[in-house]
Amino acid sequence: MPGRSRSRTPLRSAGAAVALLLAAAATAACGSSGSPASAAPAAGGTLTYGSDQLPDCLDPAVSPEDITGIVDREVFDSLVSESHDGTFHPWLASSWSVDPAGTVYTFHLRTDVKFQDGAALDAAAVKASLDHVVAPATASQYAASLLGPYTGTKVVDPATVQITLSAPFEPLLQALSTPYLGIQSPAGLQAGKTQLCTHPVGSGPFSFVSWTKPTSLELKNNPAYNWAPADAAHQGAAYLAGITIQFNTENASRFGSLTSGQSQVIEDVPPVDIKTLKAQSGLGLLTEQRPGAVYTIGLNTAKGPLADPKVRTALMRSVDFDQLIQSIYFGQYARAWSMLSPTTPDYDATLAKSWPPDQALGNQLLDQAGWTAHDAAGYRTKDGQELTLRWPAASPRQDRAALAQGIQAEAKAVGINVQYVNEDQGAYIQDLIGGKLDLVDTSFVRDEPDILRHFFASDQTILKGGANEFGLHDPQLDQWLNGAAAGSDAAQRKQSYLAAQQYIIKNALAIPVYVPTTLVGYQTKVHGLALDADGSLLFHGAWIAK
Amino acid sequence: MSAASADGAGPATGAVPRRRLPVRIRPARPAALAAGLVLALILLAAIWPGLFTGRPPNAVDPPAALQGPGAAHLFGTDELGRDEFSRVVHGTRVSLGVGLGATALALALGSAAGVVAATAGRVVDEAVMRVCDILLSFPGLLLALLVVAVLGPGTADATVAIGVSMAPGFAKLVRSQALVIRRSDYVRAAVTFGRRRSEIHLRHVAPNALAPLLVLATVTVGGAIVAGSSLSFLGLGPQPPSPDWGSMLADGQNYLAVSWAVAVFPGLAVTATVVSSTVVGAYLRRRFEGRGAGDGF
Amino acid sequence: MTGRAAAGWLLRRLALGAVVVLGAATVAFLAFHLATGDPVRVLLGAETPTPAQLAEVRTQLGYDRPVLVQYGSFLGHLVRGDLGYSYQTREPVSELIGDQLLPTVELAGSALILALAASVALAVATAGRRPVLRGVSSLLELVAISAPSFWVGVLLLTFFSFRLHLFPAVGSDNVDALVLPAVTLALGLVGTFTQVLRAGIERALAEPFVLSSRARGTGQTQVRRRHALPHALVPLIALSGWTVGALLSGSVVIETIFSRQGLGRVVATAVGGRDLPVITGVTVVSAAAFTLTSLLVDWLSRVVDPRLRENPA
Repeated sequence: MPGRSRSRTPLRSAGAAVALLLAAAATAACGSSGSPASAAPAAGGTLTYGSDQLPDCLDPAVSPEDITGIVDREVFDSLVSESHDGTFHPWLASSWSVDPAGTVYTFHLRTDVKFQDGAALDAAAVKASLDHVVAPATASQYAASLLGPYTGTKVVDPATVQITLSAPFEPLLQALSTPYLGIQSPAGLQAGKTQLCTHPVGSGPFSFVSWTKPTSLELKNNPAYNWAPADAAHQGAAYLAGITIQFNTENASRFGSLTSGQSQVIEDVPPVDIKTLKAQSGLGLLTEQRPGAVYTIGLNTAKGPLADPKVRTALMRSVDFDQLIQSIYFGQYARAWSMLSPTTPDYDATLAKSWPPDQALGNQLLDQAGWTAHDAAGYRTKDGQELTLRWPAASPRQDRAALAQGIQAEAKAVGINVQYVNEDQGAYIQDLIGGKLDLVDTSFVRDEPDILRHFFASDQTILKGGANEFGLHDPQLDQWLNGAAAGSDAAQRKQSYLAAQQYIIKNALAIPVYVPTTLVGYQTKVHGLALDADGSLLFHGAWIAK
Repeated sequence: MSAASADGAGPATGAVPRRRLPVRIRPARPAALAAGLVLALILLAAIWPGLFTGRPPNAVDPPAALQGPGAAHLFGTDELGRDEFSRVVHGTRVSLGVGLGATALALALGSAAGVVAATAGRVVDEAVMRVCDILLSFPGLLLALLVVAVLGPGTADATVAIGVSMAPGFAKLVRSQALVIRRSDYVRAAVTFGRRRSEIHLRHVAPNALAPLLVLATVTVGGAIVAGSSLSFLGLGPQPPSPDWGSMLADGQNYLAVSWAVAVFPGLAVTATVVSSTVVGAYLRRRFEGRGAGDGF
Repeated sequence: MTGRAAAGWLLRRLALGAVVVLGAATVAFLAFHLATGDPVRVLLGAETPTPAQLAEVRTQLGYDRPVLVQYGSFLGHLVRGDLGYSYQTREPVSELIGDQLLPTVELAGSALILALAASVALAVATAGRRPVLRGVSSLLELVAISAPSFWVGVLLLTFFSFRLHLFPAVGSDNVDALVLPAVTLALGLVGTFTQVLRAGIERALAEPFVLSSRARGTGQTQVRRRHALPHALVPLIALSGWTVGALLSGSVVIETIFSRQGLGRVVATAVGGRDLPVITGVTVVSAAAFTLTSLLVDWLSRVVDPRLRENPA
């Protein structure tokens, strides 16, 4: 279930190694140019990286998790790479073309690429990899949905493959640039499900060594690597001899491992500790707003009190999200106004501040909706029914539980009883499938406005792997979102996405809350770290100063 | 007196360990009075929190988040700007409720099992006692954690979990008391007079077994409160936004780098409650059982 | 006591212990089956399975068999040391316990040593002294006993880590990181230990042999250390059941506070995520270990104190 309220917000890492080179920020003091090359990169050394998530399965075709994306980005290469400006660059494919109908993509492959097991990359390998993604036995939780109206892959000659679609699908290149559609070694694919989950083999700059569940994972340098994306800042083999990934879900502990030097880089610095980090010499922060769907509260438009748009709008306007986010995240996360984050293409900036908190309006709308009486606890009632909204969460992070309590308290002020319930994963999924909830929180990182389709198109129900939790069926949204996915006219797509963002807010279909933001902490002796287009870490160009 | 004498001065532990806090104190009258006063205030806060604070415990005020103690907020504020003093006061009812509820449940379950064991014949007695041994073989909080895992987290669930885990101790005490009383002269006399079994149990055995039981309950309640707040510290007790001392501390732990106040006051409340109820319980027990009761606590 | 009597006692106790452990396993099995929610769904975690997939996994795990058959196979696996697989990490529970045992033993062991050292010092210093001193000490002990370990831990963290920066706040990688957790765990024991020890010393001080030793001119402190203390240590052995329970419960909370690795942390996480195989595994193993410990302690007590031998278990 991608992107639900768990900490494992899937992150759709988009290819290439351009990104903002952190060394510029990190070594601002030492170089006039601020360039990562201000000192000569030193090869060697093992970097310890503290991750905030535990991976489930390392097969990119199966898992939707952020951490799988980060590990697999180093192990697997993609056909193309996306840079921060949204343009695509050659990677395993040296060139590609699309037929006029937009349904046949032809990729010409590099011929010098070797997998980590020695096999050569060819068209058959690409086909085997993509076939594996869509095979029902794979039970892909995310990658298969990235391929959209995919019908198959054809080997034209050893260096040429053709991907065929049943309809035009504009997000295909972006999808192919993510690690989730990374190309796997054909021999590895034969090895079976368990082996694929625990022993990934690709052609990337680092190869998999070992995984000690649930504590750590080892990667080592792939010395043969000489096929970085065309837009990468560093070409050739990676500098680092290896990467040790320490899984440490405990915020304080992970931060402690950075300050004490046990880790050189950590994911997700707790916002409360940013001040400490900045005050300490030798530590730096790499931060960037992540593209995709922001942290959002989805509203049950199908049944219950929220089926009434007035009640939805009342909830949306009665909570002062600015203040809550400011105080819980210490100013590190921006407040969100649109379902798309500001770093996503076609983000609608005009939505900013367009729906400020207004409890008077909230009360007025609830009165209009007929929730006029109050019970002993002070909550509104209608026909003897209390205005209660059920919000289950599966072992939520402390910050999100705190945020929910803030929302709860402010909703109470207008007479809405928000019941935030902590459940185990099994019960939560059951509630989700059974529609036994009014609110659901989610976020979804992907550098593509098409992510809206995943949430709102009527065919993207949960059982089909989508995130349209409440079975919303809105012909207007379907037209915009499906049309934009199939359309190749950039201006027209933009219009559709802008309209859809406006429509979601106007009809209160979901409440955008905050913009998920990369907060990577690192020791300043680490240079050359980069974030990809999705705001997720890349280690290919990283090196440790002696 | 197996379950009650966890003071370690007694003979061997037998097959079963003891779960109750072993405390041996003999409080003097002034100390007991002072503790009684504190306990009375705590009880008053549980019954009538409005007497101490007019602020609602769950009202948020984000701009005032994580302030230290001061005139505006006696105990400071938490990460949502909620008034810590108000939350500690209102939390009394939640935290005390778990402790008292668990003790009452343990008392009820334990008494029932103990009386049945003592009166229903050898086979039943053996069976009940072996079940108690089994339950007592789960060290410390583990049985309560197992029960929470079955029931899921929540106020009622945590209360049941702690109550169940304390019940075997009560059962053993009640059984031994009932056996002593059954063999006592006045019960024999009643039997001689041809009273019915049930009447004898109801009129003679039960009341006499009850007194030491209530004393044990007073002393146990402290342990139950600590256990309850430990569960809620682990996120397994009362759920947010319920102002429970354990979960307040757990939340506050994330913000220690900014504010120390969130870590101090809820714990102080637990400690004050447990200390005062233990002292009062110890004093009562001493009065009840007389000086001859040996080391008592 | 004759050897035969001792052997009989041991056999009886062993049989009783076996019954208790079997019972604990049964309780754990029942807990597993009484738990609300479908274990298969919990196991599948974030996936949204079709009914067919659910049925397949259920058959794979044997959850479609009659309960008694499942009980039998549960006990069979248990005897072979197979405790099933964790829902959360998919690892064998026995491996999980094996991996996490050492840090917890480290923590509990150092806490126990600290607690013993501190309470011996306190008891020797305060036994039979002026009422004021004893009163103050008693009050402090009572507070130490009453204060919940999670609070003590958080207070120590606040002042020694966040204010004074003397010790790391978290982790389990070096000795520095062990100090605060061990002190926290020890403080929970010190109050009780001191009270028991002091009472023992005071009793011993009133014994004739102490009086005679004093009459020979042995110094006050020496009398306490040489003669009274060994006598006072005996009741501590009887307290070992409670001590093990306190250490284990304490480690659940303390490992969580200090983000340490260990069995306690595993339990806390498992209960939160309702990872029943892990919880039942840990509870059965610790109940067995616990029963064995109390058997050992009782046997030790009988050896140390012959008076107990008249008292059959």
